[in-house]
Amino acid sequence: MLNEIANFLSSQVSNSNAAAHEAEVGSGHVLVAPESLYACCKALKESDEFDMNVLEVVSGVDYSDRIEVNYMIASFTKGSELILKVKLPKESADAVPEVDSVVSIWKSANFLERECYDMNGVRFRNHPDPRRILTPDDWEGYPLRKDYKTQKEWHGMEIDPEHKVNSADHNFFKKVVEEMQGDEKKVAYSWKGEE
Amino acid sequence: MSGITPDISNYASKDTMIHQEELTFGKWCRNIWDAVSTCFKGLMITGRYIVAVKPVTIEYPEVREELPTNSRSRLFNDVDNCISCLQCAAACPVDCIYITAVRRDKEAPKLKTDDGTPIKLDLRQYTIDTALCCYCGLCTTVCPTQCLTHTTDYEYAQYTLSEMKYDYLAEDIRAWKHRIVK
Amino acid sequence: MSSIDGKETGNFGQPVSEKIKSDLLTLNMGPQHPATHGVLRVEIKTDSEIVAEAIPHLGYLHRCFEKHAENLDYRGIVPFTDRMDYLGAMAMEWGYCLTVEKMLGTEIPRRAQYIRTICAELQRIASHFVYAGTYGIDLGAFSLFLYLMEEREKILRLFEEMSGARMLYNYIWLGGVWNDITDDQLKRISKFVDELQENMKTYHSLFGENKILIERLANVGVITEETAYQYGATGPVLRGSGIKWDLRKDRPYGIYDELDFDVCVGEGLKGTVGDCWDRYHVRIKEVDESIKIIRQCLDGIEEGPIMGKVPKVLKVPEGEIYMRTECPRGELGYHLVSDGGKTPYRLKVKSSCFTHVSMLPDLAPGQMVADLVATIGSIDIVLGEVDR
Repeated sequence: MLNEIANFLSSQVSNSNAAAHEAEVGSGHVLVAPESLYACCKALKESDEFDMNVLEVVSGVDYSDRIEVNYMIASFTKGSELILKVKLPKESADAVPEVDSVVSIWKSANFLERECYDMNGVRFRNHPDPRRILTPDDWEGYPLRKDYKTQKEWHGMEIDPEHKVNSADHNFFKKVVEEMQGDEKKVAYSWKGEE
Repeated sequence: MSGITPDISNYASKDTMIHQEELTFGKWCRNIWDAVSTCFKGLMITGRYIVAVKPVTIEYPEVREELPTNSRSRLFNDVDNCISCLQCAAACPVDCIYITAVRRDKEAPKLKTDDGTPIKLDLRQYTIDTALCCYCGLCTTVCPTQCLTHTTDYEYAQYTLSEMKYDYLAEDIRAWKHRIVK
Repeated sequence: MSSIDGKETGNFGQPVSEKIKSDLLTLNMGPQHPATHGVLRVEIKTDSEIVAEAIPHLGYLHRCFEKHAENLDYRGIVPFTDRMDYLGAMAMEWGYCLTVEKMLGTEIPRRAQYIRTICAELQRIASHFVYAGTYGIDLGAFSLFLYLMEEREKILRLFEEMSGARMLYNYIWLGGVWNDITDDQLKRISKFVDELQENMKTYHSLFGENKILIERLANVGVITEETAYQYGATGPVLRGSGIKWDLRKDRPYGIYDELDFDVCVGEGLKGTVGDCWDRYHVRIKEVDESIKIIRQCLDGIEEGPIMGKVPKVLKVPEGEIYMRTECPRGELGYHLVSDGGKTPYRLKVKSSCFTHVSMLPDLAPGQMVADLVATIGSIDIVLGEVDR
């Protein structure tokens, strides 16, 4: 199935570089070049053979050097499903890679791509409404990046304020260590004080 | 009124524009008959409930419901049987269990739990922040000596968050043992 | 028509003129609106009573479950999946457990499979009851809510005895289920579904057959086949539009391939195919199908273990998987990326409610505000799952 789709995409879209990756455990995927994503999706949607009429979800995965965007595409008429993957290189940690939007092919991509932008920081070109969706519009950073740090303050509201942290119980460990004349090996603990 | 009446066709997409059939006098009468008869049917069902069906609710403060025996409610740790293995704290997905224990002196008298497991650590702190607890029950299933259990106690609302923090080494909470442990 | 100073006026005393061009009125529906089933805020631009534009604003219940999952071990994620769709928690757990079990290659004992199916179908019934009951309240019919809550309470009581909790069960575990089900409980489930089948007819005649309700729902909020595909609708919303697609039938998981049941689709009995009444009727018919499935499971349940072999320290092999299951509200998909460690590298949830909400801007224009309430109610969203 994956090989057929990869061959189909290679023949239909000239610069797609489509390659099927079968998996030993779990599900395999078809990897395409980011520039050809829109054309590939359009070809899959319009082909009679595959008839991929539903975009299920857009899932971004952050790695240190790239962001992979997975498009879970399914056909409810043929009963098939496919993971279409693009790898977007990330120059620096804060870089926001870009890829073409597929809203004009599947309308469900509107919210799904907005979520991917909000959570993973992938900008979708030609998106009709490129706003954040789950976090506030003026939120900083992209929460599902691996190096994400929560901002300290938002509109005068402190995030994770000190007084809300259960410091008495957190620091009990230090107290006990002092009692044992600083011998940490003698103390078993579930919390060491800092998170 | 023509100037104020909004024109639906400005906004309606093609899908949502449904042509209503023309209303004749016969249909009008039929609609009324349908509405009255189906509502009457519904009222008959409601009426039956008034007369024939016993109330299903209970009057809470006077009548208290007994929860099923494996109901997951307030946590209780029997600290005398705890061997401070820290497994509950490791299993807890919200990290609301705080345990600190120190190694027992070799000269000190040997202690054992009720099921015979030797106690090698002295428990110094066993606190559960019940306000954080999500009552998933993962901590009780990993407990090797079955000392940490969910009780069926369900009335323990408090005014402040700090009151929801239970120190199971405290005397007053130890005293629950005879009251609520299954 | 009345008149002021000799000028003709409208109903509210305003002068009638062909030239009046009024601005659209912006109306905030929610986040505390009772008809939005949670904390959904819909910004509506209305032209008198007609909705010109509806923009959903999400995120009021956002907890970033996906980020949490990256820091938890595989067993610890199960209680969090409950909290996404808190009305269909069993189905949520099952979907997650299936995903991880498929990566691990665990074989699930037959008895556990049966118990899981029974739980998931009872949960489907309970979830559809909350839908129909609260939908009645949205439309001004209160009595159905009380009857359905009474039935749901019986299901929750059964669940409480099995798992220990009423809504957030953590009952389906990786490899099997937590507790075994006793013969007494099986008998009570059997008795419950027998009674329910009789009662369902009563409830349907009380609510669904009511002329006033039909007038409210028929031909309202029509989702055509094309729109349903375009927006990736799944579950009862998709089937309400007349498309026969059910993962339990088309991509069977668990033991669904051994069970005999029908896929209910909307037929347009009271109006157009894909209107609000069709979606209501699909769900009511699904309750009957669920009863059928539960009966077969009760007949076929086997003795045996309830937990498969799962290592104590769970490490999922490297790779990725996308697994879909049929939940009460639609398809639930988990995209799990593992790097071979104790925690998932990435866990993405495909929530059906999220895609259904994205349909609103397309459905709303041209509707009355009161019909918009009916439309939002009919797609049956749970905000815990929308925002995750």
